[in-house]
Amino acid sequence: MMILFADLMSYRLRGVPQMAELVGIYAASHGPMIAREWDRLSADVRGRIEAGFSSVGSRLKAADPDALVIMSPDHWVNFFLNNLPAFCIGVGEEHDGPPEPFLRKVFKHDTLKGHPRFARHILDTALERGADPSASHRLALDHGFCLPLWRMNLDTIPPIVPIVVNEVEAPMPTMRRCLEWGHLLREAIETYPEPIRVAVLATGGLSHYIGQPGMGQIDEEFDRTCISVFEDGDEARIAERLQQAVKKTGNGGDEVRNWVIAHGLSGAKGFELLGYEPLQEIYVGCAFAQWQVQSPRSAAKV
Amino acid sequence: MTDYWLNKLFFDLQQQPEKAARFKSDMKAVLADYPLKADLREAVVSDDLATMAPHANAYLLRFYYAIRGVKDDDFIRRLNELPASGGTSNG
Repeated sequence: MMILFADLMSYRLRGVPQMAELVGIYAASHGPMIAREWDRLSADVRGRIEAGFSSVGSRLKAADPDALVIMSPDHWVNFFLNNLPAFCIGVGEEHDGPPEPFLRKVFKHDTLKGHPRFARHILDTALERGADPSASHRLALDHGFCLPLWRMNLDTIPPIVPIVVNEVEAPMPTMRRCLEWGHLLREAIETYPEPIRVAVLATGGLSHYIGQPGMGQIDEEFDRTCISVFEDGDEARIAERLQQAVKKTGNGGDEVRNWVIAHGLSGAKGFELLGYEPLQEIYVGCAFAQWQVQSPRSAAKV
Repeated sequence: MTDYWLNKLFFDLQQQPEKAARFKSDMKAVLADYPLKADLREAVVSDDLATMAPHANAYLLRFYYAIRGVKDDDFIRRLNELPASGGTSNG
């Protein structure tokens, strides 16, 4: 608190406070078979996956963030039925790398740096707004978080603020609540009193069926619905249509909630599909997107 | 309806490789630590997917069958043979 107070005073003395800046909003699928089966996938599928992750990764590199907020489910690593938060923010100095042996082989990060001060600001903003998330001072980041980081092949991984969203066991947060979380994240970024560049990555989706009838199938109708409602942009329609659509598709479709948070954060505009590949080899309707960021300030690094 | 102890068994086997190894060599000894309902205990022992699935989280069910060494093709075939009402608890 002393440090924060001193910082605030220093900003005040300098006059105009230097605030954080939103520099990029992205989404990418994260199927574990991309890592587990990589060497056995066909060259064609590997190429399509690489193209998708590169399209997001190159933009993320260019945005050059000082902090990266990532929304993902926790695939039964940190949480279980005895303790299952709807939303949990990772506020720690560092996080553990992926526990999955197949991912540890290729993504060799035992730990990943956190951004505790910015994470705490998100937590405080959420509490102020009555969202009451859970907080963790050390999360293990499974393939939901780390697989896109691996495939995007970043030179340096920026400090991460992980946000776990329960998308693995009903009941789950409503789409309306996810949009509100997007608004809240936007507010938290815009009110953070440090001149850091913040990017946001939603992972997971679109359709897949895991451990249930239909496993291996891809629900292209669901995927196209998701894409079209994001392109349309209207939040009320997103909330209504996706709330219904996730009930009729496989369990992986529930991860679209992360995309909905990103959409709320974007101001419900600027969605741009970077790639969509219904890839049966990895069981996932694999999609990549960005939301155009309308920043009042220059995107150039200060 | 999600069954706590059935899913706890799956979760523990995923998180604890030693327990998973013991489960393979002496399933009943591991099951003794879990107060499972009789029908679910029997379903685990007899590998009765149709009885387990409605009470299992789908992701944990998948981990469990992977740990048991069942290939995806076989697992998918068995899932697709389940009665129409038999999906997993969070479908």
